[in-house]
Amino acid sequence: MTAVFDLPSTREEAWRWADLGGLAAAAALAPIARPEADFLDLPGARLVFVDGVLDAERSMLRRVTLQALEAGDHPLGRRAAGQGWSLRLDAEAAADPVQIIHIATSGESHLPSEIVLGDDAVAEVVETFVGAGWANRFTRVSLGTGARLMRSVRLLQPAGFVSLREEATIGAAASLVTIFLGAGGQGSRIDATLTLAGDGAFVDYGGALLTRDEQRQECAVAVHHAEPNGTSRQVWRAVAADRSQASLAARAEVARHAQKTDGEQSLRGLLLDRTATVNLKPELEIFADDVKCAHGATVGELDARALFYLESRGIPPARAEALLTHAFVADAIGRIGHETVRDAFEADADAWLEAAL
Amino acid sequence: MLKIENLHAEVDGKPILKGLSLTVDAGEIHAIMGPNGAGKSTLGYVLGGRPGYEVTDGKVTFDGQDLLALEPHERAAAGLFLGFQYPVEIPGVSNVQFLRESLNAQRSARGEKPLTGAEFLKLARGEADALALPQDMLKRPVNVGFSGGEKKRNEMVQMGIIDPKFAILDETDSGLDIDALRVVGEGINRIMRKADKAVLLITHYQRLLDYVRPDVVHVLADGRITRSGGPELALQLEREGYAEAAA
Repeated sequence: MTAVFDLPSTREEAWRWADLGGLAAAAALAPIARPEADFLDLPGARLVFVDGVLDAERSMLRRVTLQALEAGDHPLGRRAAGQGWSLRLDAEAAADPVQIIHIATSGESHLPSEIVLGDDAVAEVVETFVGAGWANRFTRVSLGTGARLMRSVRLLQPAGFVSLREEATIGAAASLVTIFLGAGGQGSRIDATLTLAGDGAFVDYGGALLTRDEQRQECAVAVHHAEPNGTSRQVWRAVAADRSQASLAARAEVARHAQKTDGEQSLRGLLLDRTATVNLKPELEIFADDVKCAHGATVGELDARALFYLESRGIPPARAEALLTHAFVADAIGRIGHETVRDAFEADADAWLEAAL
Repeated sequence: MLKIENLHAEVDGKPILKGLSLTVDAGEIHAIMGPNGAGKSTLGYVLGGRPGYEVTDGKVTFDGQDLLALEPHERAAAGLFLGFQYPVEIPGVSNVQFLRESLNAQRSARGEKPLTGAEFLKLARGEADALALPQDMLKRPVNVGFSGGEKKRNEMVQMGIIDPKFAILDETDSGLDIDALRVVGEGINRIMRKADKAVLLITHYQRLLDYVRPDVVHVLADGRITRSGGPELALQLEREGYAEAAA
């Protein structure tokens, strides 16, 4: 099955938890009617892609352009080479939020994108995936000195698979914050390589993957500290119910001269059922000698004492579980700075919890 | 109001309560004193319905209904409040949200209208002030970073907001300094000293009873009530120790 897509085998360490079968099955799903999806009430560009093709009627491009893009040589990313969307901002420019809705109705779709910010430019991008099928996306991010990008991505496909390959270069004193929420029924792989390429660069890259039934979602992220004084935060939360599997692999590499690096990885899993699986793999590879790198990885169940405390005050058991699980997930998605976006993501997570608990 | 008859309960297969009987009528405050390991906290948890505390014999009626047949949240809606000896920290859930959900869950279980955000905040602020709990602690995650005394005052703020019929207060006095003890004692009197309410006060020491005067004092030893008396019994226990007084 996997040979069909020419992807690495799960015998390779970086792909050991990848659901390649789920990916192939997603590509073979029967076509569905185009689902509705609403934009958040924000100013700025709005793009709708249906199976990777722009729906010009429903889109307002503003500063976004469509053009042919390279997509590197990553096994997933390279499939997305071709016509894609591009947000390029000159130095000190600031754009209203860019919202993108990806609607999948059948088969596989591939789309590349790039976000290139000049020095001190500021941008925000919010992406939403809905529908069914295999949506494969490649995103290249390049941040100039002092540039700031806030990106929020939610996977809400009821079925199918979303694979995201991301490659980012963060310049001196630049900041990349990207928060993911996997709260649909689709399988997923979030595959990223991020390089802190300038002095004092900052990356906050994480999110929450919520899985149930037989679903499998995973992230495989590598942060490379190439220059001194960089800060990286990788805060991931996984909540797994039924017989599902959520896998979090986060890696931080610190180059020999990247002194004063401050790296933090926090990977936590919550099992809602004993039949569910959470895999965690925090990895550190440090060649510099003056760094602060913390990592924590825990998997557990809801705290029985906390549940009883809530119930003893009159809160019914299902609601008590939802409150505690919400709090667990909020560690990750609470990092979204924009309140409207954060509220929307929290509502999606709550809807998932309501259905799962 | 609360009638416990021949209650036997075990934890992890180990018998803790061994035939405890006790009746508390409306308008009364009963104190339960006793040495460590006597089963005082177990009694509180069994009445609250904590999982793992298994009743093997006996019965408990609350306002005429079978208390042990109710789930913990149903016991709360029926008017029972359990003040914890060790209030639990809940990161990520604010005190305000927790209390509003609690109160409104109980109200809806009783067929009452939920309080609006504004109505609730007014109530919560009033209770926090009355118990000298700084207002900003209402917004903070439940009990996270609270001192021992603040946690206990927070329990009383919860009791004031929920306004239960019957409160079981498990060592609410531990961790309190003298000033906080007075504030908490006054809170218990203000909220619970009413003709249609009752309190079961579980404590090690006489000192809380200086502020909350009990109608009846019981000695709990080895899973049973071994002696009952008036407020003077607490003073005698303090003077002579449990071994002597309970014998």
